[in-house]
Amino acid sequence: MSDSTNTQLPPVSPFVVETDGLSKNFGERRVIKGVDLRVPRGVAFGYLGPNGAGKTTLIRTLLGLISPTAGSMRLFGLPVPARRAEALARVGAIVEEPLFHGHLTGHENLMIVAAARGAATSRRIGDVLDRVGLTVRADDRVKTYSLGMRQRLGIARCLLADPELLILDEPMNGLDPAGIQEFRGFVRDFVAEGRTIVLSSHLLDEVEKTCDHVAIVDNGAIVMQGSIEELRNAGGFGVLIEVDQSARGRALLSAHPSVERVLDDGASLRVSLRDSRAVSELNRVLVEAGLSVNRLEPAHASLEQRFLEVTTRLENAA
Amino acid sequence: MSTLALALPTPGLVSADVLRLRKRRGLVLVVSLLTIGAIVISNTIIELLHLSNSAAHGPAGGVTMLGHQAFTIAALGAVAAAIVGATAGSGDLDAGVYRDLVVTGRSRLALYASRIPAGLLFLVPFVASAYALEAGVSVVFAGFHPLPSTYVLTVTGLWVLLKVVFYYLLAVGIACLVGSRSYTIGALLAWTLAVTPILASIAALGKVRELVPGVALDSLMPAALGGSARQGPVIAMSAAAVAAVLVVWAVAALAAGAVRDTTRDA
Repeated sequence: MSDSTNTQLPPVSPFVVETDGLSKNFGERRVIKGVDLRVPRGVAFGYLGPNGAGKTTLIRTLLGLISPTAGSMRLFGLPVPARRAEALARVGAIVEEPLFHGHLTGHENLMIVAAARGAATSRRIGDVLDRVGLTVRADDRVKTYSLGMRQRLGIARCLLADPELLILDEPMNGLDPAGIQEFRGFVRDFVAEGRTIVLSSHLLDEVEKTCDHVAIVDNGAIVMQGSIEELRNAGGFGVLIEVDQSARGRALLSAHPSVERVLDDGASLRVSLRDSRAVSELNRVLVEAGLSVNRLEPAHASLEQRFLEVTTRLENAA
Repeated sequence: MSTLALALPTPGLVSADVLRLRKRRGLVLVVSLLTIGAIVISNTIIELLHLSNSAAHGPAGGVTMLGHQAFTIAALGAVAAAIVGATAGSGDLDAGVYRDLVVTGRSRLALYASRIPAGLLFLVPFVASAYALEAGVSVVFAGFHPLPSTYVLTVTGLWVLLKVVFYYLLAVGIACLVGSRSYTIGALLAWTLAVTPILASIAALGKVRELVPGVALDSLMPAALGGSARQGPVIAMSAAAVAAVLVVWAVAALAAGAVRDTTRDA
């Protein structure tokens, strides 16, 4: 490869990660199925799916740890693997659990990665240890670290690159509530600096609290992607209705042509509507039937509900 | 930067690999015992026996004893080389940090190549120190035995180093190929300590035995040592044939390790 090839400016792209038809087979088993992923710049992006959905395999493919079977991918607009070294110089990543040489200290483990990244990186070791709060334990052997400290050292290792993009695989595994809280703060600060985080997780609630964009993956394929708001609203408009006779109310509402589905959660009826203008009409139907409507308000679907709806739809289609 | 330049190990990478090795206390202890420790202990015993009964036991020095001890350093040094090579070759994989080095964007070939000088920088000082110690003992404690010449001392030292370096290169390549420290050490010890002497002693194999690297290395042993450093039968080989055998084995092992390391799923 010539110098001129390596120094070509990357094409301007609004996305830090783009994949087109990316697939990966392990023997006969297709683990990633034609994934078209778009991760915008400057967001916390959740790659959400159940265990075994192919999340880690996608991350390993993006990072060049394994080769794709088909499709193409770009990081910062740079084609990978053709310009892998250039692209990965701007990326920090933790794949699966962060592992280290246990016989070396935290500082020495970072020295090893800094040596691989380039001489200038070693000057950042003190700063990144300070940022993750490990300065005091930096000269202790890693085998004496707790899981939480290893997670923090893993983050420090990522930050050595001063990365524009951080890719974290199930980063909240093994963290206690305080650690999770701390991690959310770290993500917010990182994104506030204009950088991008991609984190994979099977914890829907955590992704909803931590990320602003998400892709839902199931069985190796992306079933939905967009901002959290877009995904919540993608299922149409919904209302929560509380009536004094919920069984009658549910029957009346289910029979109405504007209602797509009614779920009784015990306290109220969660109604999905085909037409948001039908809310007053539903209220009239219930009142005219002699029911008391105690509460009627817009329903905000959680990401979990959307996830379950999407995966249920897939199961039904299958 | 050219592809070749990207594939070359930087001094920083080599230093990092040396750090990984020298910080393993167990490894340092074992390599010390196999090299310097073995020479100190064996010479101390021989000299004490000589002092207690000089009629029955000769001194620790002299050219013959140099031959015996050179064999000891070479044999135990080869074991140390197998251990260090296997550790250098598969240490990152065993610890699970290989993928973290790959995601830095650094060429996998550079990561692999840095282990070769790094392991030698760690191993050779132990072997050289052990041999320097033995060289001193062979001169100072020669007693009534003939003294080794400077030429013999130099050539014997180079032969010991060659043997250790060769087995180190073999170990690095095999460790990267199989991805396991323990399997590599086991296989190399079996090869050097059991299979090689057996193959060398089967006369029916004739010239085929020259393809065995241990046989080729032994044929380079300085003649002045009078066979004292030889384990098996004498099989004369030309220097060119020896060089060809050693280069082919070392290059094959290193190339196999490089191909595996640069293509494996990390």
